[in-house]
Amino acid sequence: MTPALVRIRGLHKHFGRHQVLEGIDLDVPAGSVTVLLGPSGSGKSTLLRCVNHLEKPDAGFVEVGGEIIGYRRDGERLRELPDRAVTRQRAKIGMVFQQFNLFPHKTVLENIVEGQLAAGVRRKAAESRASELLAKVGLAGREASYPRQLSGGQQQRVAIARAVANDPQLILFDEPTSALDPEMVGEVLGVMKDLAAAGLTMIVVTHEIGFAREAADQVVFLDGGRIVEAGPPGEVLANPRNERARAFLSAVL
Amino acid sequence: MSLAVEPTDGVDTLDRRPGDDELVAARLVARRKPGQWISALVALVAVAALVHSVLTNPHFQWDVVRYFFLRPSILEGLLLTIWLTVAVVVSGYILGIGLAVMRLSRNPVLATVSFGFVWFFRSVPPLVQLLLWSNLASLYPTLSLDVPFVHHFATIHTAHLFTALLAAYVGLTLDVAAFSAEIIRGGLLSVENGQSEAAKSLGLGKARIFWRIVLPQAMPAIVPASGNMVIGMLKATSIISVLAAHDLLHSVQLIYEQNYLIIPLLLVATIWYIILTTVLSIGQYFVERHYARGKGGPAPRGLWEVARGSLPFAGTVRRDLAGLV
Repeated sequence: MTPALVRIRGLHKHFGRHQVLEGIDLDVPAGSVTVLLGPSGSGKSTLLRCVNHLEKPDAGFVEVGGEIIGYRRDGERLRELPDRAVTRQRAKIGMVFQQFNLFPHKTVLENIVEGQLAAGVRRKAAESRASELLAKVGLAGREASYPRQLSGGQQQRVAIARAVANDPQLILFDEPTSALDPEMVGEVLGVMKDLAAAGLTMIVVTHEIGFAREAADQVVFLDGGRIVEAGPPGEVLANPRNERARAFLSAVL
Repeated sequence: MSLAVEPTDGVDTLDRRPGDDELVAARLVARRKPGQWISALVALVAVAALVHSVLTNPHFQWDVVRYFFLRPSILEGLLLTIWLTVAVVVSGYILGIGLAVMRLSRNPVLATVSFGFVWFFRSVPPLVQLLLWSNLASLYPTLSLDVPFVHHFATIHTAHLFTALLAAYVGLTLDVAAFSAEIIRGGLLSVENGQSEAAKSLGLGKARIFWRIVLPQAMPAIVPASGNMVIGMLKATSIISVLAAHDLLHSVQLIYEQNYLIIPLLLVATIWYIILTTVLSIGQYFVERHYARGKGGPAPRGLWEVARGSLPFAGTVRRDLAGLV
């Protein structure tokens, strides 16, 4: 197996009294697709959000490309990094949200350009890259549209183009098709499969078992803040050993 | 309506009655609304009477109004009113943005200080503040600039520093800051959290997120209230006339104190205030249109179209009247 791009060790997180993550250990090999499955409230999204430091863990660490995310080691302590350093780390980790979160006051082109400008790319180069990406997600010629003029599926494809514009080493998908009308799910999953085939490292939270079966290298099943089952989709999806995983899968399949 | 229970296999099975065809062909006539006619007539008569009396009542002395309207001393006062308004609004809003950000920050000390500032300066009437600032000398006879306990730079007499104008500038700026802080805070809160999360995940820094992502989206909620605020402040600058600063109102007061032509000179000031407010309202329209980008809504309209639409018997009004007939 290729060396792990993402290493998660002993990750804990609670909100108030509620323990959301109770010691997560996970490796994501470079160039692989990992799908996180589990009932709502199992901690999938929180785990994903810890990977780019949108949530701060209470204990444990996430390492991406050999760098601990959000912290630096200082002897026996992990000290939180200054904003600037966290911003630099995030620039190399793309994220796609359930609600798209496109910037409504900016055109499609400007949405895809924004992160590149922050990374120091010249506007002209950023714009031509943006147009290129739009063509790749099947939206050539829509540069001047505003997000609200697009369908949900189109918006999510723009969001994916935006997330990959900075050539991230990893891209996180937080239920990317859950807010879409059923007929638009396919087009978004299609773009995601293209990215997977192109060798992008992806962590995907989704309820689309079909996508997990076809595109995932690794399926991870979470329940109550723990990983209860992990492995290749053939094994985990076909005959899960864990009781909760079996119940969940029979409910969604 | 007839409830046909037998299975239908097309239009043929619908219940047909004699007269249906005439009903389908009939022209639909909207209900007459005589109340609207009567109220519109009453309003028109009232407006006509008012205009007639304003134009024919010799006490308005329109010739005097015309004579003084562009006098240099009036224009000087007008200029002071304009730049004081601009200075107060600009510095007030810069402070207001800072206060709003402090109030929303996770730092409890900053949030409390901002709250305290807003609470205090919203509570004190601008006029009272003005008088307090211009009498600051009796509280602190001298002001000095130094690094506490270390180095001393300069000392000045407060009374020399706080002229009427500076007192007005400081007092009104703090007033604008307190009110605009609340307007801006409301606008910032209206922007979804997902927006800054998306920006963070793209590797945008804090300042970039604020100025390029969050604040522009807060503007549609900020601008209308701010338009009110700026117009209010334009008029509020007239209170500096009590400190004998030479603003628009004070410049007409100086003249009518000599010639006793009180009403026409107040009309001069009134007309200038109306002109300035109109200009500000037009500006507000364009600012609102600018920040409505991406909102969907009808295509943006030019000023001329909007103005013509509001003229009586043209555009909107004519359409409405047509609806009455």
